[in-house]
Amino acid sequence: MPDNDHSRDEPVLRLDRVGLSYGPKSDVLADVSLSLRPGSMTFLTGPSGAGKSTLLRLAYLALRPTAGRVSLFGVETNRLRRRDLAPLRRRIGVVFQEFRLLDHLSAYDNVALPLRITGRPEASYRKDVTDLLGWVGLGDRLDARPATLSGGEKQRVAIARAVVGKPDLLIADEPTGNVDEEMGERLYRLFRELNRRLKTTVLIATHDMALVRRAKNDVLRLAEGMVVRVPLDQREGQP
Amino acid sequence: MSRAAPLLPREDAREAALFFVVCALCFLAAFSGLIARAAYAAAEAWTTEVAGEITIRVRGPEADTQRAVDIIALTKGITSARALTREESEELLKPWLGGAGVPASLSLPRLIAAGGAAGAGDAVAAALKKANINATVDDHETWSADARRVTGTIGLVALCAIALLGATGIAVIAFATHATMLARRDIVELLHLSGARDDFIAGLFERRFLMLGVKAGALGALLAFGTAAFILFAVRQTDEQAWLLPQLSLSLADGLVLGLSPLIAGAAAMFAANLTVKRSLSDMV
Repeated sequence: MPDNDHSRDEPVLRLDRVGLSYGPKSDVLADVSLSLRPGSMTFLTGPSGAGKSTLLRLAYLALRPTAGRVSLFGVETNRLRRRDLAPLRRRIGVVFQEFRLLDHLSAYDNVALPLRITGRPEASYRKDVTDLLGWVGLGDRLDARPATLSGGEKQRVAIARAVVGKPDLLIADEPTGNVDEEMGERLYRLFRELNRRLKTTVLIATHDMALVRRAKNDVLRLAEGMVVRVPLDQREGQP
Repeated sequence: MSRAAPLLPREDAREAALFFVVCALCFLAAFSGLIARAAYAAAEAWTTEVAGEITIRVRGPEADTQRAVDIIALTKGITSARALTREESEELLKPWLGGAGVPASLSLPRLIAAGGAAGAGDAVAAALKKANINATVDDHETWSADARRVTGTIGLVALCAIALLGATGIAVIAFATHATMLARRDIVELLHLSGARDDFIAGLFERRFLMLGVKAGALGALLAFGTAAFILFAVRQTDEQAWLLPQLSLSLADGLVLGLSPLIAGAAAMFAANLTVKRSLSDMV
C-alpha cells in the first residue's frame, strides 16, 4: 500500500474552542481545543460519559458544533454545504464502537463498501480488499456474514473497512472495548503499523489505560467538557 | 465472478405489504381507466351511429306517408328517405310486445327513416308543416346530447378516481419508503458517514421502489385485464346487451391504459422514494 503524503505541517484535525450543547444547561462539550499533526497517533481518554464519542462524531463530521470551529485537512468545515462534506468524509476512516457492520453483507462486501460508493468497478479493488482481509488475519473468512464472526473478527473487519480507502485520518472509538487483552494488543499493533506504514494520522478513544501506558503515544484527556494533553509521566491512575 | 451484493437487504414483510397495496391501487386505477375509456368509446359509438339519422312519425291519413317521403327526399340536406315496412315497425316493437307478432287489427305508427346532414331535421319539419302534414320529426339530438353528457360524467368520475388512486399510491409509497428508511437508518447513516453522496443513497432506494412499483403495477394491470376479459366473456355468454359493457373491448387503446399502469406506478414509487430519502438525509449533517 502506498504511503500517505503529508508534506504540509497543517494539522489534519483541528478543533478550536469547540462547544456542543443540546440546550441552555446541557453542555456536552464546553471549550475543546486540540490539534493533530499529520502522521501522529493519539489516544483520547477520559471517564465514561465525558463526551469522547461525541468529540469523535464532531471529528468525523456526524455532528456540527454549536460553538467554535472544526477544521479537517486545512478546511474549516463549519460553513461548508452538506454536499461539500462528502469528499472530506472519504478521507476519514472510522472504526465505530459498535462495529456497524452490515449484517446482510459478507466480510468482503463490508470492507469493500467505502470503495463501492465511489463508483469504482469491483475488479479494480477486488485484490486490495482480499489482501487487506488477509492482512488482518481474515483471509479465509471473506464470505462470512458478521453474525458468524467473533467480536475480535468483527472488529478486524471494521478496521479493514476503515482503512481500505487509505484514509488520511483514522478515527477509532473504543476499538479494544469489546475484545480481550490479547486481541486488544493485536489491534493496537495493527493501528500502529497503519500509522507507521501509511503515515495515517490515528485518533483512538479508549478507556484502556493499560494500553495507553504501554503505547507511549500522545494522550489527550477529556473531562468536564475540556481537553488537556497528558504528559508521559502523568499517565497512571484513572482514565 | 462478481462478489458485489446489493447494498440494501432483500425485500422484507413491510415491502410485501406495500407490494400488495400498490398492486391493489394499480388494479383499481387500471380498471377505472378501462371504464373511463369504455364510457368515452360508448358515447362516441352511440352518437356516431345516430348522427344524421332522422325519424319521422306521420299521423293522419295513410296517403300522407308517401307524400311525406317525397317531400322529405326533396328537402335540402337529405340524402335518403324511405317509409318503414310493417315488418320493420314490428321488429322495433318486439322488445315491448314480444316475438308473437302484432295483431293485424292493431294500427302501427307510420315511420319514415331519413338520412342527411346534421341540422337537416329542422328543414324537414318546416317542409312537412308547409305541406300541411301532421308529423313528428326526431333527429336524436336531445338523446345524443344526454348520452354524451352522461358518459362524459362517467368518464370524469373515472378520471377523478384514477387521480385519487394515484395520489393515494404516492402517499402510501412515500410512507412506506420512510418506514423502510427508518428501519434501515443504520445503512443510510453508514453510507452517509462513509462519504456517499445523497444521490447515491437515494438511488439505492429509487431503484428498489421503481422495481417494486413496476412489478406491482404490472400485476395490478394484469388483474384488471383478467377481470375485464372475464366480464366480456360472461356478457357474451349470456348474450345480453348491457349498457356499457359491449364497449369494454380490450383494444389496443385499452392495452395502452393497462401498459401505462406499471410505468406510472414505477415512476410514482421512484419519485416518492427520492423525495423521502433526500428529505431524511437533509436531517443529517
